[in-house]
Amino acid sequence: MAKPKLALYWAAACGGCDVAVLDTNEKILDIANLVDIVFWPIAVDFKYHHVRAMANKSIDLCLFNGAIRSTEQEEIAKLLREKSKVMVAFGACACFGGIPALANFTSRADILQRVYQEAPSNSNEQKTVPLLKTKVTEGELDLPELFDTVLTLEQVVPVEYFVPGCPPPVDLILKLVDLYATGKLPPVGAVIASDKTLCDECDRTKEEKKITRFYRPHEIITDPKKCLLEQGIICCGPATRGGCGMRCVKANMPCRGCFGPPAGVIDQGAKMLSAIASIYQGDGTEAINRMVEEVVDPAGTFYRFGMADSMLKRKRLQKT
Amino acid sequence: MVKISIDPITRLEGHGKIEIFLNSDGDVQNTYLQIPELRGFEKFCEGRPVEELPRIVPRICGV
Amino acid sequence: MKTARRIPLLKKMLSQFGIEDERIRLDWVSASEGDRFATIVNEMTEQVRKLGPFSGNGGGKNG
Repeated sequence: MAKPKLALYWAAACGGCDVAVLDTNEKILDIANLVDIVFWPIAVDFKYHHVRAMANKSIDLCLFNGAIRSTEQEEIAKLLREKSKVMVAFGACACFGGIPALANFTSRADILQRVYQEAPSNSNEQKTVPLLKTKVTEGELDLPELFDTVLTLEQVVPVEYFVPGCPPPVDLILKLVDLYATGKLPPVGAVIASDKTLCDECDRTKEEKKITRFYRPHEIITDPKKCLLEQGIICCGPATRGGCGMRCVKANMPCRGCFGPPAGVIDQGAKMLSAIASIYQGDGTEAINRMVEEVVDPAGTFYRFGMADSMLKRKRLQKT
Repeated sequence: MVKISIDPITRLEGHGKIEIFLNSDGDVQNTYLQIPELRGFEKFCEGRPVEELPRIVPRICGV
Repeated sequence: MKTARRIPLLKKMLSQFGIEDERIRLDWVSASEGDRFATIVNEMTEQVRKLGPFSGNGGGKNG
């Protein structure tokens, strides 16, 4: 009986999700015994042409991490979708855009300008920029085209399951493997995490109180037992799906939303903005203006991992 | 001239492809390494509060 | 009075999305102020019309 075939791929990613799979430690050997890994650039030497040669739907499970922001990433997403029975958006980038989706505040042109022309740490006297086609003495080289807008995996191909997190915690990865191996995967479209918010699973004390100002971390020493939001530290818990074991909050760091919106919430940032406005006490113009001043980067904080998945998706570029 | 592509390069972090050009004797005439990805951290970190940078830039590389 | 707090913060956030302040307006109208409601809606409609559609679309790959 042939073993099921597993493929893993990274698009606009950092490798953290692949390392998270390796972080299952000795369990990776169980996984390797359970399946045939047919494509996984971080760990095995299969090439794109190997994938192209596979029969459609011959890959049983594909864990796809990273956001989509180039023609190559889109092409490989579509290729793997064609060859795979089940496609999983693995990690915050594939699910919501992730950190790379912060590029939706800018444009391809501005990124290329900054990276290749302006960055002080670069030495690029000839002002070279990457081109789609470059002629060299021996022939021609080509590069994929970058998009202005970072997309989630689901905005490019249909996806069966979502495993959020930056990176997904080891116990959720093992849960996915277990559900797959025992044939108990939930209905298509499910997010493999909690359905509630991080606040619901957070063990800090909540007193349901209002606050009169927000603090940046250098302005206050926090009590590690009390709710961060109630101490004036912006924490995205109210607008974030639980299931991560509150690993950031346990380290005294406020949540930044890498598990995406909770069940039933369409736009994580809007939900967070609402939560912030709700917890603040102060109704006069002066108090409200002060509150707005104290939230220094609302869009970048409330949509830290979810720009591509938001309703607005990106900053509007000026018509040229 | 024959072109051999190694795409993608594997067992390291990041994306890359190598193009090898062979001459008529079958010897390597030239080789090119290309990096077909760019996320733009250098640009999108602008405007973020300084205390958030240590939580954003580790996502450059998760290895 | 959550709305009074939400709207200014929303305007700040939307400006980061390149969306102009003038596209949002907060006003308080009671059920018996029909004329005033009509005036406000007309003013707002005219204001948004002058601003035109959003520049750069919100969903595609390029802009």
